[in-house]
Amino acid sequence: MSELYRDVGVVLRTYKLRESDRIVVIMTEQNGKVRAVAKGVRKTRSKFGARLEPMSHVRLLLHRGRELDIVNQAESVETLAPLLSSLDRASQGMAAIEAVDQLGLEREPNPRLYRMAVGVLRTIAARPAALNVPAFYWKLLSAEGLEPQLDACVRCGETEPDVQLVSIDLNEGGVMCRACRSGGPISAAALAIMRDIFDGRLNQALALEESPATHEVGALATRALEHHIERRLKAVAMFERH
Amino acid sequence: MASVYTPPVQTLIDELGRLPGIGPKSAQRIAFHLLKVPADDANRLALAISEAKDKVRFCERCFNVSDAELCGFCSDDRRDSSVICVVEEARDIVSIERTGEFRGRYHVLLGSMSPLEGIGPEQLKIRELLSRLGPEGVEEVIVCTNPNTEGEVTAMYLARALKPLGLTVTRIASGLPVGGDLEYADELTLGRALEGRRPID
Repeated sequence: MSELYRDVGVVLRTYKLRESDRIVVIMTEQNGKVRAVAKGVRKTRSKFGARLEPMSHVRLLLHRGRELDIVNQAESVETLAPLLSSLDRASQGMAAIEAVDQLGLEREPNPRLYRMAVGVLRTIAARPAALNVPAFYWKLLSAEGLEPQLDACVRCGETEPDVQLVSIDLNEGGVMCRACRSGGPISAAALAIMRDIFDGRLNQALALEESPATHEVGALATRALEHHIERRLKAVAMFERH
Repeated sequence: MASVYTPPVQTLIDELGRLPGIGPKSAQRIAFHLLKVPADDANRLALAISEAKDKVRFCERCFNVSDAELCGFCSDDRRDSSVICVVEEARDIVSIERTGEFRGRYHVLLGSMSPLEGIGPEQLKIRELLSRLGPEGVEEVIVCTNPNTEGEVTAMYLARALKPLGLTVTRIASGLPVGGDLEYADELTLGRALEGRRPID
């Protein structure tokens, strides 16, 4: 059962294995999330070098194994240098790939998730905008079929300006008016940003500077994604504290 | 299946089998080797292990492994205390010492920042590093963490924390290993090697 296959993918995580090997977790285009052994990567003279670091976008030749595949060759598609050029970029990139790792299923092809991962890393490399990661989290949720309803109260269906939409409840799936409200509060500014993200004005949202409203959208996005995957996201939590 | 060995031998095999990289078969081979060698040789190994576990601890200043309050590098007056080399693990010190290029002091972080595993600056010896800078009159900090994603993140975090204090913060260069082929160099390494090129005199 020896089988070689080619694919492109984004490296999501690496684990040390034995003396100088690593297990790399890759979100591939055609094979879903793949776990593979890269032999000798930790040696200074490894043929893989820096190509299999987290966030790398690589073209791979893999050997299918029973549990773990083996990386035979790796070639960069895009250079990792811009993502490692500043702490903001690196931390945003980490937060993004952690979410992809949580949502990707092993050997379950999901080309859309792969393309979203490549896209967000390109965006982050170009500019570490305040809303890169929150917008990406919301887009992931929307791809999973969990787009929140933002234009009308989820319970009574009333819209603005008849009622004021003041709260957002993740269990109910959207915003609520003052009379029906449950969940947590949401400010008008944050709601406006969320509408920009979902209604095709992403560039406008990404152009925003850091503000209380962007923080609010960020916290909401993290909470919504954690609610969906039912576990805590580590990378985001770490950089929110610093 | 019950053990075919007498309990002392089985215990020895089990314990050896818990060491990194040693499977049940190797454990068995080492155990029988130990039983065959003279008692003195085996006891020397036992003594070396218990003495190392007993006496070795972390240096109070730089967190290198040491058998006293301060390690050899921290207590050596001939070393330059104005330069500190920050490394991830104590074993990295050995690699740097072998080069013979560095005469300053060290600081061991005992790990690197790993956002994906939730290891942040609080879990590393960064606060201890900051508290050393003033009293020891440090002028330069060389960030010598591994050139992988985690090491780079740690380096950038350290630079952000240290720069405002008005000292020189440097990062070891990355580039091509001597004896390697350009053909096999990855883009990131080769790119950095080009970026850090220098005139030939």
